[in-house]
Amino acid sequence: MKILLWAEFQKLRRSNLILFTIFAIVFTAVFVFLAGTTTASPEQITVGSVGWYMTMTQVWETILVLPAVIALLGSYMICREEQDDTIKNLRLIPVNERKLTAAKMIVLFLFSVLAYFLLFLLTFLTEMVLHASELSVKVFFDFLNMYLLEGVGVFFAVSPIIAIVPYLKKNYWLALVAAEIYSFAGLFMSMSNTLRSFYPITAIFGISGYYETTAQEKLCSFLVLLLCGTLALVFLQKLNRRL
Amino acid sequence: MSDRIIETKQLTKKYGNQTVVNSVNLHVKKGHIYGLLGRNGAGKTTIMKMILGLTSITSGSAEVFGKNIKGNEKRIYPRIGAMIEAPGFYPNLTGTENLEIFAKLRGTSAPDAVKKALEVVGLPYRDKKIFSKYSLGMKQRLGIANAILHDPEVLILDEPTNGLDPIGIAQMREFIKKLSTENGKTILISSHILSEIALLADDIGIIDKGVLLEESSMKELEKKNRKYILLQVSDVPKTILILERRFQVKDYSVQDEQTVRIYDTELNMGEINKVLVMEAIAVLSSGICNDTLEDYFRKITGGEGIA
Repeated sequence: MKILLWAEFQKLRRSNLILFTIFAIVFTAVFVFLAGTTTASPEQITVGSVGWYMTMTQVWETILVLPAVIALLGSYMICREEQDDTIKNLRLIPVNERKLTAAKMIVLFLFSVLAYFLLFLLTFLTEMVLHASELSVKVFFDFLNMYLLEGVGVFFAVSPIIAIVPYLKKNYWLALVAAEIYSFAGLFMSMSNTLRSFYPITAIFGISGYYETTAQEKLCSFLVLLLCGTLALVFLQKLNRRL
Repeated sequence: MSDRIIETKQLTKKYGNQTVVNSVNLHVKKGHIYGLLGRNGAGKTTIMKMILGLTSITSGSAEVFGKNIKGNEKRIYPRIGAMIEAPGFYPNLTGTENLEIFAKLRGTSAPDAVKKALEVVGLPYRDKKIFSKYSLGMKQRLGIANAILHDPEVLILDEPTNGLDPIGIAQMREFIKKLSTENGKTILISSHILSEIALLADDIGIIDKGVLLEESSMKELEKKNRKYILLQVSDVPKTILILERRFQVKDYSVQDEQTVRIYDTELNMGEINKVLVMEAIAVLSSGICNDTLEDYFRKITGGEGIA
């Protein structure tokens, strides 16, 4: 498994999708900052509300950007062995295809968490400029916890899309489109206090602590995300059997 | 143990109602180069894929080292190097990076295995060029480098000279020959180019429309490729009698009711004609012929021939 994980990281070298992800993260973060500074008063941004930028950025990144790019990267990673025709080389080694898929999903999980960690660093540094005097260790750890949990949550929420797209033998860009619609729909689901605990994208906010939730709602959100992971597992197993 | 490294018995592959490989019995001997010759779409790649276990077998069997690959993958694959169809590699990585991944996944122990394999096929080690920028010839060479990376006993190469320039083809031919003669590798190679197979192979299998039409050694085939005197006469039995008694001809064959082939081309044709005419046999035509291998293949594949 160690070698498979090493190989998966190697395969991502010079990948345009990684650059695309970083660009999308930074672009949205800048966009949220510009939108915030032009619509809020200077007091609100620089003095009045510590954590404003970190809060807004994670919401918009989760609704608009990161589920789509993580789904795209995941589907690409799963599809690429067939697309690049390397699957025959791997079979002739022979590589255990279940372990190969597992390695890909582990790398994607780490990537999802790292993407949110990168976003956290970016927003925290901005907050340091905006509210240096008001930042505390508690704020740092609260937001770090929120961002990392969202990284984990997004991975589970989009995992069925990552598994279904290669299963249906569709182009991996379909994952981007499907995940974008899926995550954007979260905006409407968030308006209902009941639905937001059950819809996977908004369930992420319930778990991360962005929403104030009861223990029961948190459990529901946790189970929904777990169900997403299980669904992905079922399709990935079917995919392995078919390959 | 048999000296056959690869053996198929009644190997058949069907897609729906279409039979793409039909009851193929193929025998690859240890240390030999076996050339599988056939036009594009004849079934060469499918046979190789079935031997390697990359596609399912409809009926019959394929054995490598006396065993079915299915269920013995871990024991057999490390002893085989293969390149099937177009070489598949990660386009965003260099040749060296690609081979390093496959070497590590294989557990190749030699530390300089990648460097050596690249040297053998004439590709630079640690070059910065990524695979997507490779020419077809370079891709092909990298495919071969991947096949020999772990020093396998058997090589299965599907059209390895595809996309190579004439110098590259000659180099590849020399390299494959060297692997067999100096390193004792058993090689199964496919091609649609007759001259390639003729120059390389010890044994040959001719496949057409999924059927193995002929399997023999090159030496046997070359016998069929010799010069002969072609005689077309009005009375074949009487001609044979004269040839045997007057000219002591033993090496001949009767083609049809009017045609005889005499394989002793040193005979005096003028004298034969004279004697036959004197015996009241009409000589319709006579002359020295030389069937090329290509003529032979054209004949057995039903006239369409092979490049």
